[in-house]
Amino acid sequence: MTTQLAPETVPATQPASAPAIELLHAARWYGNVVAVNDISFSLGAGVTGLLGPNGAGKTTLLHMLAGFLAPSAGTVKVLGQSPHRNPSVYRQIGLVPEREAVYPFLTGRDYVKFNARLQGMRDPDGAARAAIARVGLEDAMDRAIGTYSKGMRQRVKVAGSLVHDPQVLLLDEPFNGMDPRQRIAMMDLLGDLAGAGRTILFSSHILEEVEQVGTEILVMVAGRLAASGDFRAIRALMTDRPHTVTVRSSDDRRLATTLMADPTVFAVELTPNGLSVQTAQLGAFRRILAGSSRSAGVRLLEVLSADESLESVFDYLVGR
Amino acid sequence: MGSIAVIPEIARVTFRQLLGRRRTLLLILLAALPVLLAVAFRVAGQTDIERFSHRVFDTITVTILLPLVAILFGSGAFGAEIDDGTIVYLLAKPVPRWVVILAKALSAMVLAVALTAASAGLSGLIDLVPAGSDGVLATEAQILAMVVGSVCYVSLFLALSLFTRRALVIGIGYMLVWEGALSVLLPGIANLSIRQYAMGAASAIYKLPADTTRLSSDTAFLLAGVLVVAALVIATWRLMRFELPGGTD
Repeated sequence: MTTQLAPETVPATQPASAPAIELLHAARWYGNVVAVNDISFSLGAGVTGLLGPNGAGKTTLLHMLAGFLAPSAGTVKVLGQSPHRNPSVYRQIGLVPEREAVYPFLTGRDYVKFNARLQGMRDPDGAARAAIARVGLEDAMDRAIGTYSKGMRQRVKVAGSLVHDPQVLLLDEPFNGMDPRQRIAMMDLLGDLAGAGRTILFSSHILEEVEQVGTEILVMVAGRLAASGDFRAIRALMTDRPHTVTVRSSDDRRLATTLMADPTVFAVELTPNGLSVQTAQLGAFRRILAGSSRSAGVRLLEVLSADESLESVFDYLVGR
Repeated sequence: MGSIAVIPEIARVTFRQLLGRRRTLLLILLAALPVLLAVAFRVAGQTDIERFSHRVFDTITVTILLPLVAILFGSGAFGAEIDDGTIVYLLAKPVPRWVVILAKALSAMVLAVALTAASAGLSGLIDLVPAGSDGVLATEAQILAMVVGSVCYVSLFLALSLFTRRALVIGIGYMLVWEGALSVLLPGIANLSIRQYAMGAASAIYKLPADTTRLSSDTAFLLAGVLVVAALVIATWRLMRFELPGGTD
């Protein structure tokens, strides 16, 4: 498994046999707007995080995989079949959509049973109980979903999606609204399912969520696949990228002289708003900044990271 | 054909969706209006088929109650689910789309027929049946008109709701402009009016005095059947091509 940027065809996880999910030059556009642009990858068993800022095309990609959107170009296959206009493929797919709404008038148990019955399961009651137990909602299963918290609704959606033990699980922002304890439990569940040979693809715009669940990630930016592969390698790329930090102090010129001597700094510019410092190691720079200012006898007034947003991280990955 | 077994399950959820709304209460009140008027006529000693047919059945039951109830249930069978996104839970299942359409249509039809036919039947029982055998036939004809009209309106507006989110508004426009004004002023468009199919079908049992349709009962049944089949086939075709938006991501 190699980490790649802007790949042509990337196996994000190495499938042991035929890949469970396979996209080849898949694209989707709406009029002149390109939502997904020439994406290729294949996934086997395991958990893969689909990371990207809002508007990156993650939901469009998941809806294509779930058969709810036809690709405008290229091919999308799940378990060797095109999911579009192919309801039979849902025997092997579980989908957790991003939208929060779930039938508010049903109890959690009735909702999961509804899913089990529509999947044609022989023992919908038993399957529903088992799925509800997996997400830890037994205590609330006989309450109407309309009374659930956001995190509970997410969990009941997950229970409904895995009641038929699908081979492929697609989850769109599954951790939205969950408290830390619920997140950990859900992450453990996804890990267990992956360990049992299931293929799980979940989307998130939060780096830390993906870090804790997915060892493999796909990074989407502006409809394109910006990077894919092992999370740690991509994380290192993100961390070690050049950062620009704006520093205001009681004597910017003197501080600039001191900072230039530091190996973590490769450029300093004196601007009307303070010093614009470029560093390749943000963490190390932050650590030395206090010491440098003290030794120069300069008082720090303000330190701003100009490009700390996830979007800027993604922009960097795309631009490389 | 095993997939038909899921129809009761889908219907159960659809009933809850359609009935769990405040507007249902308003529809029940509307359905009670012909019954209350029938009681008033009866108390006043007016058990006259022609008078009742014109003043209550034509003015309220077939012109307002029937289309309003059936259009609301027909357009609402999918409409709310599409709006709030819960349709995903229904469509991400290995269920043929024609089964989903059939389940939704039957659910809306059952509710529309129950409400309108109960109103027409009860009001007929109170004010028409005492008029004798003609009153019994007139009541049966009223009920048949409600059944045929409900099935047609539900099918048409269920299909329309899969094309536009404004199916209800279009339905009310159709009810007021097309059926309320044009089909009365221009008898030639009777072939394209559900109200005319309902009245024409009812004439198989009894020619209601309020019946202005030129359609024979056979023609009315035929056109109603064509409309229902065509609407449900188109709805299935549309549902097979239903796409979810990409969302904000």
